[in-house]
Amino acid sequence: MTHPDLRTSGAFSQRSSQPAQLADVLERVLDKGIVIAGDIQINLLDIELLTIRLRLLVASADKAREMGIDWWQGDPFLSGGRDGNGALEQRLKRLEAAAGIEGDGDE
Amino acid sequence: MSVVAEQTAWYVYGVVESSLASRLEARVVEEGELAAVVDSVSLTVFGEEALEEHLNDRAWLETHARAHQEVLQEISLAGPVVPFRFGTIYHEADDVRGMLRARSSELAAALARVRGRVEIGVKAWAGQAPVQPAAAPSTGRAYLEQRLGAQERARAATAQLAEAARDSHLRLLSRAVEGVANRPQPRELTGRDEAMILNGAYLVADVDPIRHEIEQLATDYGTQGISFELTGPWPPYNFVDEGGDQ
Repeated sequence: MTHPDLRTSGAFSQRSSQPAQLADVLERVLDKGIVIAGDIQINLLDIELLTIRLRLLVASADKAREMGIDWWQGDPFLSGGRDGNGALEQRLKRLEAAAGIEGDGDE
Repeated sequence: MSVVAEQTAWYVYGVVESSLASRLEARVVEEGELAAVVDSVSLTVFGEEALEEHLNDRAWLETHARAHQEVLQEISLAGPVVPFRFGTIYHEADDVRGMLRARSSELAAALARVRGRVEIGVKAWAGQAPVQPAAAPSTGRAYLEQRLGAQERARAATAQLAEAARDSHLRLLSRAVEGVANRPQPRELTGRDEAMILNGAYLVADVDPIRHEIEQLATDYGTQGISFELTGPWPPYNFVDEGGDQ
C-alpha cells in the first residue's frame, strides 16, 4: 500500500467511539458540507450521494454512467445478482408504491 | 535528479478561525482570520483521473469518507468548523489562501452560525405493519372488496406515518436552532426491515433538550411501532451551505 491515507497522513488521532453508519457518513461528507470549487472537480458532488445506490440504479443510471459512477454494477445485491435480473427494480417500484413515494422526476 | 518527485496537492477538510488553528495538531493554511485544515495528498491518488477511478471503489470511498469525517469530528470537538464537502482539492497552498480570501465573509458567517453548536441526527423508523390473515374470498366480489379494503388500510397507514414523521420533525425543531428533514434513506441502503420515515438533522447548542424530546417521541409513538434513533454529535455538515437544501 503506497498511497497515503488521509487518516494517517494527518496529525489527528482516531477517537474511539462506535463507528457511524456508513450511509450517515456518506450522506454528510458527500452530499452536505460547504461546496466550494477546488482545482480538481469531482463530478460526484453534483448529485445527491446518499441515494446514489438506488436513484442511480432506478432513475438516473445513464447519467451516472456518464459521470463514471457505476459501482452498484459490481454490487451483487443492487445489480440484481441476488434477486435476478430486474427484480430489484420491480421490488423498489412496489415498495415505493406501497409507501406512497413517487420517483423523482427532477432529472 | 533522475527520480521525479511525487506530485502533491492540498486537500481541504474544513475551515476554522486562525485562533483555533494554533491549538489544533493539524496542518493548516492560514489567511487573515481564517485557517484551512489541510493535508498534503498525492496526485496519483487524488488527481482528477485517479479520483474518478477511486470513487468507484467502494472500499476506497468508505475509508476516505470516514477519514474525512474523523478529522472534522476531531476539529469540531475543539471549536467551530465549517466542514467542506469531500474531495475539495487545490494544487498549491496559495490557491487555498486565495479561496480563503475570496470566500472570507461567507466562511466567517458560516462559522458564526455554527459556533457553540453541534449537529444531531435523528431518524425515525416504522416497523412492518402486521399482515392481517384474511379468509380466502369465496366470490370474485369478496375478493375485490378484500383487495380494496387492504389498499384503503395501506393508504391510511401511510398517511399516519407521514403525519407522525412531520409531527416528530416539528417537535425536534422546537428544541433546535435549525433543522432539516432530509430524504429518508431507502431500505436497500439501511439494510433494515423497518422503513425510515424521518431523516432529520438538527443544529443544537445543548444536546439534552433534543435528547429528552426524542425520549418523549419514543413514548408517544411507540404504540404505533415507531422508534427513534439519535446519531452524532456531528460536525455541522447540514448547516453550512446556503446553497444546499431548503
